Amino acid sequence: MKMIRVLGLSLITAALLAACGGGDDPYVAGSTPTAGAPTTKGNFTAVVAFGDSLTDIGAYAPATSLSGNGQAPYFGGKFTTNGAGGTVWVENLATRMGLVITPAEVGFGTASVKCPAAASPALANTCTGYAQGGSRVTDANGIGKAGGALTVPVAKQIENHLARFGSFKDSDLILVYIGSNDVFTQFGAFTAKATQIQTAAAKGEIAQDEAQRQLFAAQTAAQTEMKKAATELSGYVKNQILAKGGKYVAVMTLSDIVDTPFGQSLPASVRPVLTDLSLIFNLWLREGLSNQPVKIIDTFPIVKDSYQNPAKYGFTNNTVPACDAAKIAAITGNRVVDGSSLFCNVTPGVPFNGLRTGASATTWAFADGVHPTTGGHKALSDAFHAQLQSFGWL
Amino acid sequence: MMTNKVLGAAAAVLMLGSGLAQAQETTLKFGVTRYDTHAKTSGISGVGVPAGADASVGDATTVIFVAERALTPNIGVELVLGIPPKIKARAAGSVGFLGEVMSARNVAPTLLLNYHFGQPGDAWRPYVGVGVNYTRFVDVKSPLAEHVEMSDSVGPTVQAGVDYFFNKQWGLFASVAAVKVKSDLVATGSTVLTTTIDFRPLVYSAGVSYRF
Repeated sequence: MKMIRVLGLSLITAALLAACGGGDDPYVAGSTPTAGAPTTKGNFTAVVAFGDSLTDIGAYAPATSLSGNGQAPYFGGKFTTNGAGGTVWVENLATRMGLVITPAEVGFGTASVKCPAAASPALANTCTGYAQGGSRVTDANGIGKAGGALTVPVAKQIENHLARFGSFKDSDLILVYIGSNDVFTQFGAFTAKATQIQTAAAKGEIAQDEAQRQLFAAQTAAQTEMKKAATELSGYVKNQILAKGGKYVAVMTLSDIVDTPFGQSLPASVRPVLTDLSLIFNLWLREGLSNQPVKIIDTFPIVKDSYQNPAKYGFTNNTVPACDAAKIAAITGNRVVDGSSLFCNVTPGVPFNGLRTGASATTWAFADGVHPTTGGHKALSDAFHAQLQSFGWL
Repeated sequence: MMTNKVLGAAAAVLMLGSGLAQAQETTLKFGVTRYDTHAKTSGISGVGVPAGADASVGDATTVIFVAERALTPNIGVELVLGIPPKIKARAAGSVGFLGEVMSARNVAPTLLLNYHFGQPGDAWRPYVGVGVNYTRFVDVKSPLAEHVEMSDSVGPTVQAGVDYFFNKQWGLFASVAAVKVKSDLVATGSTVLTTTIDFRPLVYSAGVSYRF
């Protein structure tokens, strides 16, 4: 009797212990960190950057030709507040490292030139800035493609680097920052579908519950596309960068696009849909890079902190674009009416100055609805520089 | 791992039972069980999950087999096995419009130590028991996620029941048991959802018994 009772108790105790031990918890995708990236200082001779408008160092300058014929001088060309010192984050970073980075391809419409800097032989190896406004991860049909933007996708940007340089080198600092245009594309698809659904619901063609189910399905479809893009990107990093000699590789996650003037212009009800597209991309990018010898720079919290605490980063305004859409429309003869900072020059006194009256290219955070000013880019490059230092690379 | 420990413990108890057996008897029972869940989740977390999203778990009915070995005139060791019932979960809270979001079958062997009141030969014999339940979720499916996994659950159980014997062999039984069943769920689709479900079932059973 006594023995049985003891045994019964120990049986239950053992079972409870086993339950606490719980060694078989289901795996949560995206929870495995990267592993094996270098931890020592790099002996860098080049910054190799793949990406979109945030990292674009002047691919579309010919679109801003003062004479209108595609020839220099250009009054814009970068998605920021253009002018003397109007550099974007990757240029700031290269400068701090004592390096030069120039565009890998410059052009607009049907004409483009690969590595224009090679005209001076000393700069022939500097054209490692592949990022182009509108580019996506894989899809060549980027944002603005129909209007003449090249939008070479990152898949092809990497191929182009391998075609020109053969492989990556230990002395390359390789930066991959792409996906926001996939977010915009999927967000656009979602909002178009959502409008249809809501119209049908308003007319009484479908019930409220059915409308909600359809909205959920539309959101899921957009998220599935983001998962696909992120998974493809992690594949390029593994098979086209790491497998081709890349050693110092940093991959950026996406930030929350709600934290922009564009994001704030959206109805509050759809903002989470936009946020989630970035987060889904980040989740599957992390999952795809599990145990890979790369470093992830998580821009999501970095940019959010700067958006929520503007004063900490020296910003006095982060809600209004510094570039004036009306001025840009006038300067471009109404060719550009959306206030795109690609056409925004902030040089004082020039006739093509597009800076909003009273605005600043350094203390206002945004140049247009989504792109940072010169000050915004400095905040980004400072943050990324600090990250690279924390990896021990700089 | 957990399975091995539980089964190992079960084997030890059963071996002890046979060691002590002095003209003891075995009872086999066959019956119907109502798995009446009072499930609570920890809420559903994951990218894209609207605030207030939840799920409610439905009840299930199945057939059970019970084998009990008497160790003494008043104490017996009981093993309960059932045909795994299908349990279904429906979306609740802010995502109630999604309807059924998951189904699974739970394989839930339970080992109990019972105390039987009265004496052998009594027509009515109430009993109470304590034990351990192991639940494994299989065939977990969701229309919203390609892949759903649920962790195994090991938890204590208590029961109370009554046997009624027509004669030396045949009888009827009815019992109610409370079981601790808790499982971590991860659903992977375009996003990854996680939750912990505390099923808190009350299990009502009734059926026929045969002694030998």
